[in-house]
Amino acid sequence: MSTTTITVTINGEVFEETVPVRMLLVDFIRERAALTGTHIGCTYEGVCGACTVQIDGEAVKSCLMVAAQADGHEITTVEGLAQGGELSPLQRAFNEQHALQCGYCTPGILMNMDEFLRENPDPTDDEIRHGLVGNLCRCTGYAHIVDAVRQAAKETR
Amino acid sequence: MTGTSEGWVGSHFHRKEDHRLITGKGRFLADIARPAALHIVFKRSDHAHATIESVDVSAAKAMAGVVAVVTGDDIKDEILPMPQPVVQPALPATYPKHWPLAVGKVKWHGEPVAAVIARDPYVAADAAEAIEVDYDPLPYVGDAESALADGATIVHEDWPDNIIFQMDFTGGADEESQRAHEAKVQEVFDSADIVIKQRFTCHRCGVAPMETRGALFEWDESDGLTGWLTTQRPHIDRLALSDILEIPAEKIRIIAPRDQGGGFGVKAPFYREPMLIAYMAKKLGRPVRWIETRQEHLMAVSQERDQIHDLEVAAASDGKLLAIRDRGLADCGDGCEGVYWGFLMPFLGAVELPNAYDWPIGDIKVKVAITNKSALSPARAFGEFPTRFAMERAIDMVAKRCGMEPADVRRKNLVATLPHMSITNEYFDSGDFIKVWDNLMAEADLPGFRASQAEARAEGRYLGIGFGLGVELSGVASELFVPMENQPGYGAATVRLDPRGKVLVFEGDAPGGQGHETTVAQAVAHSFGIHPNDVVVTTGDTGTTPFGSGTVGARAGSYFVSAAVQACEFLKEKIARIMAHDLALAEASPADFSFADGFVTYQKDANIKKTFREAVERVIMAPINLPEGESGGLEHTAFFEAEKPMIAFNADVCTVEVDIETGQFKILSWTTSEDVGQIINPQIVEGQMQGAIVQGLSNTMFEEFVYDENGQQLTADFENYKLATAADVPDIKVTHAPTPCPYTPLGSRGIGEGRPSDVPGTLCNAICDALGPFGIEITDLPLRPDSLWRKIQAARGAS
Ligand code: FES
Ligand code: FES
Repeated sequence: MSTTTITVTINGEVFEETVPVRMLLVDFIRERAALTGTHIGCTYEGVCGACTVQIDGEAVKSCLMVAAQADGHEITTVEGLAQGGELSPLQRAFNEQHALQCGYCTPGILMNMDEFLRENPDPTDDEIRHGLVGNLCRCTGYAHIVDAVRQAAKETR
Repeated sequence: MTGTSEGWVGSHFHRKEDHRLITGKGRFLADIARPAALHIVFKRSDHAHATIESVDVSAAKAMAGVVAVVTGDDIKDEILPMPQPVVQPALPATYPKHWPLAVGKVKWHGEPVAAVIARDPYVAADAAEAIEVDYDPLPYVGDAESALADGATIVHEDWPDNIIFQMDFTGGADEESQRAHEAKVQEVFDSADIVIKQRFTCHRCGVAPMETRGALFEWDESDGLTGWLTTQRPHIDRLALSDILEIPAEKIRIIAPRDQGGGFGVKAPFYREPMLIAYMAKKLGRPVRWIETRQEHLMAVSQERDQIHDLEVAAASDGKLLAIRDRGLADCGDGCEGVYWGFLMPFLGAVELPNAYDWPIGDIKVKVAITNKSALSPARAFGEFPTRFAMERAIDMVAKRCGMEPADVRRKNLVATLPHMSITNEYFDSGDFIKVWDNLMAEADLPGFRASQAEARAEGRYLGIGFGLGVELSGVASELFVPMENQPGYGAATVRLDPRGKVLVFEGDAPGGQGHETTVAQAVAHSFGIHPNDVVVTTGDTGTTPFGSGTVGARAGSYFVSAAVQACEFLKEKIARIMAHDLALAEASPADFSFADGFVTYQKDANIKKTFREAVERVIMAPINLPEGESGGLEHTAFFEAEKPMIAFNADVCTVEVDIETGQFKILSWTTSEDVGQIINPQIVEGQMQGAIVQGLSNTMFEEFVYDENGQQLTADFENYKLATAADVPDIKVTHAPTPCPYTPLGSRGIGEGRPSDVPGTLCNAICDALGPFGIEITDLPLRPDSLWRKIQAARGAS
């Protein structure tokens, strides 16, 4: 099994690791960095969005990359969203609006919507719904997620 | 957060579960690590029906990192076959014998044939690929009707036919009474003004939670078997594993992870994979772990519905319903699935067919056929998604024939007084259907809608309105559960008071997102007059929790919470008795003490009080000078069983616009009216409704498992098995018209399980209403723009 050595920063912490070339980024994050908040919902089809993280601030599905491609980049996972133990407005809104039930999809949605709100500080409900199409949620029916994103947008503006 | 220590029940308390889940600290099955755990990967059948000629595992075994390879032949003398009594219903059916791996032949595309256990998951997957299986194909039995046809290939070859289960739900137990009953129903049909006769079909679709299944087992000579399992019913899994593997039950501990990524029924069966994993962990003496891939999940499970109903309704010209006749037929798949066997869903679907309508008489029969597909596994709206689709559509067809508003036909025929026993012997305990309905109609503004519809039509736009309704089980009473699943219906909760005045609650069921921790914490806080944050809830660990049949059938709001409240009341009485004794209040009875705002207060003199903590600590830590016959300690397990089976009720209205040039449609609004009894947490209730209705829409409009003519499953990924996205579905307005349930201590009802059931009928009714000028009746699911377009074309061509 051929391997390669990579250096990535995850939530501000530097990891230098030798990994199999075929190791997916999501597996690297979960197994090597032991950050299990990033989930796998469609087993690497790139459809469900549960594995979404940010690479250099951009939301990406971490099952669609191998870890080696992240070499030299900065990754933020859901564990890096709260700063100094303080929930982000988006995280707080998810709790207050009951935007999660099982919470399996939630980390991916938070990482996607965190970027979305930076790009769209004043979104309409329709824009929020279209911003969410890369994230499947089986529990909530999405309405409360839209409410939470709207609340976070309002609070952050 | 609002609410006081007096009023936690019904208050907007934000969920306790959320903090860990939004910070990435949830603990799902895949997050649980055991040192040196091995990984198992299943080799699954490429064929729908074939004899296994040979399995060559030599290449797989030789690969570096592979620890073991097993086939059906290796285990068939080591593991007892299914069925075993604890996962076999007490209903007369034929139960197919099976092992975790196929033995002799495969019966569906995706059936486990062999398994590889390796140190690394990637290696295990490579090795599974390297297993060579030689098959001799057999004829594919692809649907229920051909399975029952003369000369059909028999799937379980030692059976006389492909029928796993059949039942007459209305005619009594013997032939003679059934024939007499049929004749009686026929008389009603013969003299009725109106008879509707229609075949309704519902496709194969289901729940597909975002977290797939998984298992992690380890064996220890002294402690026995410990298994972490994605499951809704760990206590049943424990007993079933004990029977299959012949390990004494006391040496098995099953732990459902505290966080599970949705269940919706699909994590309730006793499946084949965990049996093998548990067996291999014991045999190898090393932990073995399985995380199901999405492809495996969509091949093997989450497939439900798949029923055909030949439904007839007799009615008077004034819209009064007179009789119903139904011949149901379900495509069960191979039926090899503990607890449900693929047929319990169609069974319950038939029980619930009459819905909330007051039928004078009915004749309902169902057959369930074995085919070469994966066994039906439960999905929320258990069995009744197809029957309710058929019923709600049929009501609209009756209304059309009578020239009446479908809404009026519904109201006219709703069961007006409860309790009520349905024609299929389903007991409706309490509630007020008319009140729920009238609340919906106030929301719907039907005259206003009809006016805008007429205006729109004048502009060539097609708007429609559709109604539907549903009676749902609120928990499953033992009366139904024992025959249906050979399991008890009671809810169980252990409440343990901590000397520091905090409360621990233990639940044997295993939730997957329903918010049990919050709901029960509110109920317990309400009871003791403390804060929900002072209540800690443990779920789903058979080592610490009381026996429960599982998180199924909306048991939490009805049965589990009620058990917890009963346990609290028991403990409060004890605290009060001891306090009365300590204060030498000879006259006082326990009822004289209130528990509120963190105090236990003697109500006849409010100056006489103790903090809750002091009162509790006294009993637990200082058990001296107690009243005669009293002991120290404060812990109680209550088993709650209501006197009668219980229900919840809802009605829905939606409006749509259909583009007749393309068959595309848009849902303009969706409003529900609910009787969930006393609400414990309004947000959680609303979340259940939003989620359930969207699941119903997703099932109706997008999801479908497709098998080709050779039984190859073509939809084993989310590209092809499409779930609704946020952009596909509307926001839902949830309104309430509650009647507290008189049989639960809080008046609460269990909710959420059956809630998708009236969605397909409601939506299709709206679309048929929009397309009224074309006389289109939707009778098949899924509902797709292209098939709708063809119907419109045909109708336009004909006119
Ligand atoms: S696991 Fe990456 S998109 Fe589903
Ligand atoms: S909250 Fe369960 S999948 Fe979204």
